[in-house]
Amino acid sequence: MWTRRFLSQFDFFLFLAVVILALIGALGIYNASAGDGNYSLFARHLLWVGLGVAVCLFITSIDYHFLTDHAFLLYGLTTLLLLGILVFGTEVNGSKSWFAIGPFSFQPSEITKVVLILVLARYLSEISSSYLQPRHLFTLGALTLCPMILITLQGDLGTALMYIPILFGVVMVAGLRIRVLTGILMATLCVAPLGWFFLKDYQKERILVTLDPGRDPQGIGYQSRQSQIAIGSGGLFGKGLGQGLQSQLGFVPEIHTDFIFAILAEEIGFVGSISILMLYLLVLMRLVRIAESARDRVGILLITGVTSFIFFHVAMNVSMTLGIMPPIGIPLPLLSYGGSSTITTFAALGLALNVHQRRFVCSPTSSADSSSPRSYLQASLFKHYNS
Amino acid sequence: MPIYQDNRELLQRMRWLQVVFILVFVGLFAKLWSLTVLDFERYQNLAERNRVRTIPELAPRGLIYDREGRVLVDNIYGFNLLLFRDEIQNIDETLSFLVDGLGLDRDTIQERLNNTGIYNIYRAIVLKENLTMEETAYLLARQSEHPELGILKQPRRIYRYSSLAAHVAGYVGEVSGKQLGQSEFKDNEAGDIVGQFGVERTYNKRLQGRDGRRRVLVNSRGRFLQELDHVEPIRGAELTLTIDLDLQAEAESQLGDGPGAVIAFDPHTGEILVMASRPSFDPNQFALRITQKEWDQLLENPDTPMQNRTLQNTSSPGSTFKIIMALAGLEKGIIDNETSVYCGGSVDLYGNRFHCWKSGGHGHITLREAIQHSCNVYFYLLGQKLGIQEIASFSRRLGLGSSVGIDLLGEALGLVPSEEWKREARGEPWYAGETISLAIGQGPLLVTPAQMARAVGIVATGKAPNLHLVKGESPNTPKQSLFPTPDFSPENLELIRDAMWSSVNEGGTGRAARVAGFEVAGKTGTAQTISFATRATLSDEEAEQFQPNAWFVGFAPREDPEIIVAVVVQRGGSGGSGAAPIAREILRVYYEKHKRVQPDGMELAFQVKKTQRL
Repeated sequence: MWTRRFLSQFDFFLFLAVVILALIGALGIYNASAGDGNYSLFARHLLWVGLGVAVCLFITSIDYHFLTDHAFLLYGLTTLLLLGILVFGTEVNGSKSWFAIGPFSFQPSEITKVVLILVLARYLSEISSSYLQPRHLFTLGALTLCPMILITLQGDLGTALMYIPILFGVVMVAGLRIRVLTGILMATLCVAPLGWFFLKDYQKERILVTLDPGRDPQGIGYQSRQSQIAIGSGGLFGKGLGQGLQSQLGFVPEIHTDFIFAILAEEIGFVGSISILMLYLLVLMRLVRIAESARDRVGILLITGVTSFIFFHVAMNVSMTLGIMPPIGIPLPLLSYGGSSTITTFAALGLALNVHQRRFVCSPTSSADSSSPRSYLQASLFKHYNS
Repeated sequence: MPIYQDNRELLQRMRWLQVVFILVFVGLFAKLWSLTVLDFERYQNLAERNRVRTIPELAPRGLIYDREGRVLVDNIYGFNLLLFRDEIQNIDETLSFLVDGLGLDRDTIQERLNNTGIYNIYRAIVLKENLTMEETAYLLARQSEHPELGILKQPRRIYRYSSLAAHVAGYVGEVSGKQLGQSEFKDNEAGDIVGQFGVERTYNKRLQGRDGRRRVLVNSRGRFLQELDHVEPIRGAELTLTIDLDLQAEAESQLGDGPGAVIAFDPHTGEILVMASRPSFDPNQFALRITQKEWDQLLENPDTPMQNRTLQNTSSPGSTFKIIMALAGLEKGIIDNETSVYCGGSVDLYGNRFHCWKSGGHGHITLREAIQHSCNVYFYLLGQKLGIQEIASFSRRLGLGSSVGIDLLGEALGLVPSEEWKREARGEPWYAGETISLAIGQGPLLVTPAQMARAVGIVATGKAPNLHLVKGESPNTPKQSLFPTPDFSPENLELIRDAMWSSVNEGGTGRAARVAGFEVAGKTGTAQTISFATRATLSDEEAEQFQPNAWFVGFAPREDPEIIVAVVVQRGGSGGSGAAPIAREILRVYYEKHKRVQPDGMELAFQVKKTQRL
């Protein structure tokens, strides 16, 4: 498959931007480790990035139609995995969302995001109407809510909440009448206060502290505050690489993972951190370009899912780090340390590269020559029944 | 079927999504700009405070010596328990740790925490002074769990002789919120220990030195990582007092619980050798954060131990005032040394009968005998001739009613009555009969022992230097005397000195002050605190409360006087028995310290002078 033709279609621009971001993340993790002089996380991160690149290329090489064909099967498998984790999982930081395999631990709730993107794209691709009907929304909601509930039960509300923006992005692109959208927003506004009663005390506290940072400077607001201090003290050009004492001395919590942006901003300043954000914006723009050139509806919807995934993670993580949002444990894609998150992001980007790869119908790498998704779907379903 | 599906709708919506992305990113840029550029300084300061802990190193105050170089006020180092309030994670946990582990009293800590209104949050507060070795070890072992607590070696004042010279040395205490607003304490901040009384207060700037600090890098758990810099504290300048501790100790032991006061000084320089006021207090109590209860006890004591009686207690001078009367009479030419008056035990003036203390009378006497035996009638008649305005004028020329120039705060100025004063203060004219009582130092006249001592100094030497407690220059003692140098006839002064000498050495009322070999001169006083008429209405026990104040003022030696002394014993009875013996003991100690034995065995006092450092 790695023929010259394949390489000629490959989106090196996107791939390069992604790898640069991953390397900046490695730099941040390296500097964050300078405080205690333990560089094992850095080494592991490089390993995860390598693995992520491999997963990314692997997914690129499989025709995305094959993946969307088996989306429901994958969805069923991950649901079983999430159920299994409730029973056999390992508890880390108060959430029972990890599988420990030897020295590595693995968080299925992350990779589920990619499966959700596949399922949503697959389901929506079959709807040809300009606007979604309420029954479609109901099915989409159920598809998203099912893993969300399981993940919330694991105690990882932050990760579960990140499924909503993916659904939201995809639904918006698939088409929603303004009055339906307003209805949903109104309903959400009405239900949200009720949700307050379901939140755990520490979750409520996080929300309150974001609204009023002076509420508890040493407790929960401490994280946000320390992160802001680190970023603010970086100034325009930063303190220089390796000079981010604020972060290195342990004042900023979760510095390798959720707050990685803080140490980078402290060390490379406004100019450096703006560059990182610009790089993300570039990736997002490129994804939209890929969507525009996509061959079919399901391809566009896949890209939409991937774009929403990347955008909402970046926007929320950076907001959290800048103290605009409560810290709810969302990693910064590609920069944060974490195997599951890194591999998931690379897998999602693999889907995007995949769509780019097969933007022309007559692409030699296309595994099916069906011109209509509907018939293609029927064919593949038929295949299923036969197998 | 078309090869390309019509996905324009989807792509159109996707472009809208793109606009949302850009808007959100612009928002993030803006927030980033405000954090890193607009609020940069603020966050830089916060970051600095986060990881840099400033540990104060208090400068020890300067030592205070007596005139012979003996240490009166010293410093000792103790370990204090500090609380860094900006590091507190959980105040309840901290409190429980201190209460359960160290046995501190929860209420006391809570009280200190509540009274921190004026402190900067970054200022560590002292929770407990003088930790024991056990407490220190216990805290050090658990330091890592409690980064909010610190142990600091800090100097503390120690007054070597407790209450000895307490009113001179004074005491130190935390600067109050009110004081912080005053220019005197403009360099201080809340929590600083400053002089509050005595020379500790007047010379606070000189004594307090400059605090140092250590800035250390700590991690988020408050663990020490490295020292950034260290500013050594600078010890305050030392102070040498003019006080002679030997004489001071003698004076205080003679006074006992008093109440009473002794002041002695060198009339040529104004250096105060003794400033004793009893009862007294222990300034060490204040160095260790005095409790409200201890403070109340000091304030409620009817004998006012906090008062420096030599400067702050005003009362009638009694017969010691006759010195001033005599000088006024001589200077005005109303009397001379040969003027003779008949004392028949009493005299009738302005319709009242005025008594002499000796009911039989002194017979015909001159000024010398009148002073020697403290005859009242002589001075009644002199007072009648002088009149109130002359008496007031001479009193003022001898320094009554004005400051002695002392380098301590809170000096009382007393009261010199005059016709104007009576009209303004009481709205009545001055009655001639009042002049008669005033002539023997009774009536509304109020003086401090220090003022009487200076008046005697003027008589003894013709000089009126400012009295002061610190050797050399002092901020409150300008080089030029505040008090105009009096201009009295030397012959007249000599007449009074001779009369005072005879009072002590020729069987006069001051004979109890006689010191063999030392030419002491002096005058007693027995100042009534209530009138004879009132006394007659009281029971014996009540009358005991209103015993007259015993006075003795004097100087020695007669030729070229070197020491002036004034003694007041409240409720001490007659001056001759209540005060003169105390003066004698002080002068005796002085004499024995300074006399020199010549090789041929002859005693020759005062040839070689005193101030040798031990």
